[in-house]
Amino acid sequence: MKILGISAHYHDAAAAMVVDGVPVCAVQEERLSRRKNDAAFPMAAIEWCLDHAGIEPDALDAVVFYERPMLKFERILTCALRAFPRSWRMFPKAMKNTLGEKVWVRGIISSHLGVPGRKVLFTEHHQSHAAAAFLTAPTRNAAILTTDGVGEWATLSVGHGQRRADGTSITLLREIRFPHSLGMLYSTFTAYLGFKVNEDEYKVMGLAGYGQPSMIDKVRKVIRRRPDGSFALDLDYFDFHTTAARSYSQRFIDLFGLPRSPYDPIDLTTTEGQRFADIAASVQRVLEDTLVEIARNLQRETGLPDLCVGGGVALNGVANARILAESGFERLFVPPAPGDAGCALGAALYADRIHFGNEDREVPDHPFWGPSVSGTELARVAAEDGQLVDELDEQTLIERTADDLMTGRIVGWMEGALEFGPRALGHRSILAAPHDAAMRDRINREIKYREKFRPFAPVVPIEAADRYFEMPSGGARLARFMSGVFPVRPEWREKLAAITHVDGTARVQALDRDMTPRLYSLLEEYGRRSGIPVLLNTSLNLAGEPIVNRTVEGYSTFLRCGIDVLVGDRTRVHKRGSLLTKRKEEVA
Amino acid sequence: MSPASSRHSPARLDRILTPVHRWIWRDPDRRVQKLLRFSETETDGGRDLLRAAELTSDPLLRRLYLVHATDEQRHGMLFRRRAAAMLSARPPRETVPLAELPPPSGHGLDDLEVDQETDSTMLAFLHVAEKSAASRFTVYRDVLRSDPATQGVFDDILRDEMFHMNYTLTQLVRVSPERHRRRLWKARLTRLWKTYLRLASALAGAIGAVLLTIYYFVVLPPFAWLAKRASTREDGGWTPVSPDRNNSLRRQY
Repeated sequence: MKILGISAHYHDAAAAMVVDGVPVCAVQEERLSRRKNDAAFPMAAIEWCLDHAGIEPDALDAVVFYERPMLKFERILTCALRAFPRSWRMFPKAMKNTLGEKVWVRGIISSHLGVPGRKVLFTEHHQSHAAAAFLTAPTRNAAILTTDGVGEWATLSVGHGQRRADGTSITLLREIRFPHSLGMLYSTFTAYLGFKVNEDEYKVMGLAGYGQPSMIDKVRKVIRRRPDGSFALDLDYFDFHTTAARSYSQRFIDLFGLPRSPYDPIDLTTTEGQRFADIAASVQRVLEDTLVEIARNLQRETGLPDLCVGGGVALNGVANARILAESGFERLFVPPAPGDAGCALGAALYADRIHFGNEDREVPDHPFWGPSVSGTELARVAAEDGQLVDELDEQTLIERTADDLMTGRIVGWMEGALEFGPRALGHRSILAAPHDAAMRDRINREIKYREKFRPFAPVVPIEAADRYFEMPSGGARLARFMSGVFPVRPEWREKLAAITHVDGTARVQALDRDMTPRLYSLLEEYGRRSGIPVLLNTSLNLAGEPIVNRTVEGYSTFLRCGIDVLVGDRTRVHKRGSLLTKRKEEVA
Repeated sequence: MSPASSRHSPARLDRILTPVHRWIWRDPDRRVQKLLRFSETETDGGRDLLRAAELTSDPLLRRLYLVHATDEQRHGMLFRRRAAAMLSARPPRETVPLAELPPPSGHGLDDLEVDQETDSTMLAFLHVAEKSAASRFTVYRDVLRSDPATQGVFDDILRDEMFHMNYTLTQLVRVSPERHRRRLWKARLTRLWKTYLRLASALAGAIGAVLLTIYYFVVLPPFAWLAKRASTREDGGWTPVSPDRNNSLRRQY
């Protein structure tokens, strides 16, 4: 059975193909269109998936959209009515936006792909998250928690899933509904702190490390616990439900002070900078406490040892680590794409297992579902520019790269299929020695062009993770896709200064040899030279750009920043002077 | 490159409109808004050029597009920094409401479908666009005599624009020696057509907004009253999910 899953129209559009119950490919539209967080109908991603799987559209058994557009429209219209007359500015925009395209999904899919309307199916948004989290995890019976900004109405759902020989089930027991939303709470603080909503939430998490949670009482005024273990936002502090222009109200500003201008840098040496860090720390703590409480209640209720977490909030590695440590669950599974992009895969798997009732199949436990790189293409374009190009055998490549890293070079690393999801997990990465804080500053300054307060992540062989990081039971699993933040052991912090955040933690990737054998070999080789098999691993992209996909995108990134060496498959390119430092007339 | 090379004669229309531009740039709030929008446009232009560099099979064009893309991204940063400096120079309460400003880098109008263009059509489009921008920026620079810092930003950018204008024309003649003039005319007409489409689309959007606003105030009040009344009965907190709610995947609601 051939099923295409699609997510689109809000953020992170994506397509995924499931054939005979197993994913064969998945890619985010942004990786192909090169527009970060591209939300457009993912035509390029769909075409690539069909092409890669060798399937004509008319051979598809179903096309599954990741949410129910009419239900979403109902929520938008209802919210506009409830906010009458304050919603008068928002109403025309919302109607034009929704009625212009977003509610006509069945027709759009039919017309673009030429498939009959009866083949187009719809899952609910949180069902898709739940399926993406549960059906891709190596567990047969687990509790499920999904949480994000909002789907149709639900913002947080709990339930459980079961995979048996006689069928698979996903049961959502209860939900919290819009406008009460942990995702919207966090996004509101993201906007207040001068960052981009739906994109920069991880900056709030990074900034939180520099602050003290001294404003928890204030945050607790805007989100209140309820006796049934849920929560409710005090809507007087918010505007997101009445206008698209601003997330927070004047009362919010009265409570927390003036918001940060997105155009001002954060200076943590000033009182104002510290205030922003304290606010970030406070909202982060409240988010964690709320999730831990909900997860703990769910564990008591289900009695299950495993929890699958989905939705955009599951990208919060600090909260995930606390859920694992404090909720009573023994293992926590977060997929590599827990956000809306992953819903494309979740929707396709849900249709396969539950709608069509197909037999359960194991899903390969890796994130590499996208297009592949070509070393030959890299060699060609680099040679055309007069760069130093080597095409090496596997062992020599590993040794030369380990030598590069030992001498302080920064390496762009491309191999195999692109990751599905927001993390670079070893196929499109920038690698560097993790020992010196100067390396972190250099990457921030010459490559990522980003704020100083943001940390970099380490990658370590799974067997060695516990030596350098305080990994709780189940931590290695959470770290498989870089989904948890754990303390760096105090005795290693100085030697791992480039990846140790100010609060002594790191967002660890614990690498399994079977998942990425070449990078694993590189870690071993680097460990033999340095004594510490740990590398700094950050995504291969520049600020404001999606992670690179094709070889030539990696090459153009290499040319435009301070990466010293680029590896693509078995081709190694050593930069011979930056193109960008030449005089323009020389280039012409 | 000498400062003299940043001199460019504005087009006649831009010269005629100089008093309008002077009026627009006089107001500090409008100045900030304009600079931020330019920042957005230049950043987006840089993204398109980067894409063009990654798509072309011509090594020289790839290098030139990369240099051009880096210039555009630098321009975006210059505009943004200048706007930020103007914003921070005023007391916080007097700043332009943040929600009304475009995001620090963003997604402006995409005139160009880079993936669909050939090298020659891309070069022709770039040449016409750069020439137009240089003409307009020259006028802006001239009307900003009272604000030397902003004027300096335009001066800096204009030097790059001259290079962009020159290389795009030279390369267009190289890749399309027989038809480069036709390509330039086609690019001019295409820009004109897209300008019309933008205006028409904006007008249609405005008419739609007016009609929907009338509808909002005339038709919706009783439904709004019902919706508000219903919301007071909602308890919040956990809502049970009915087991049969998701029985069918055929429904859109």
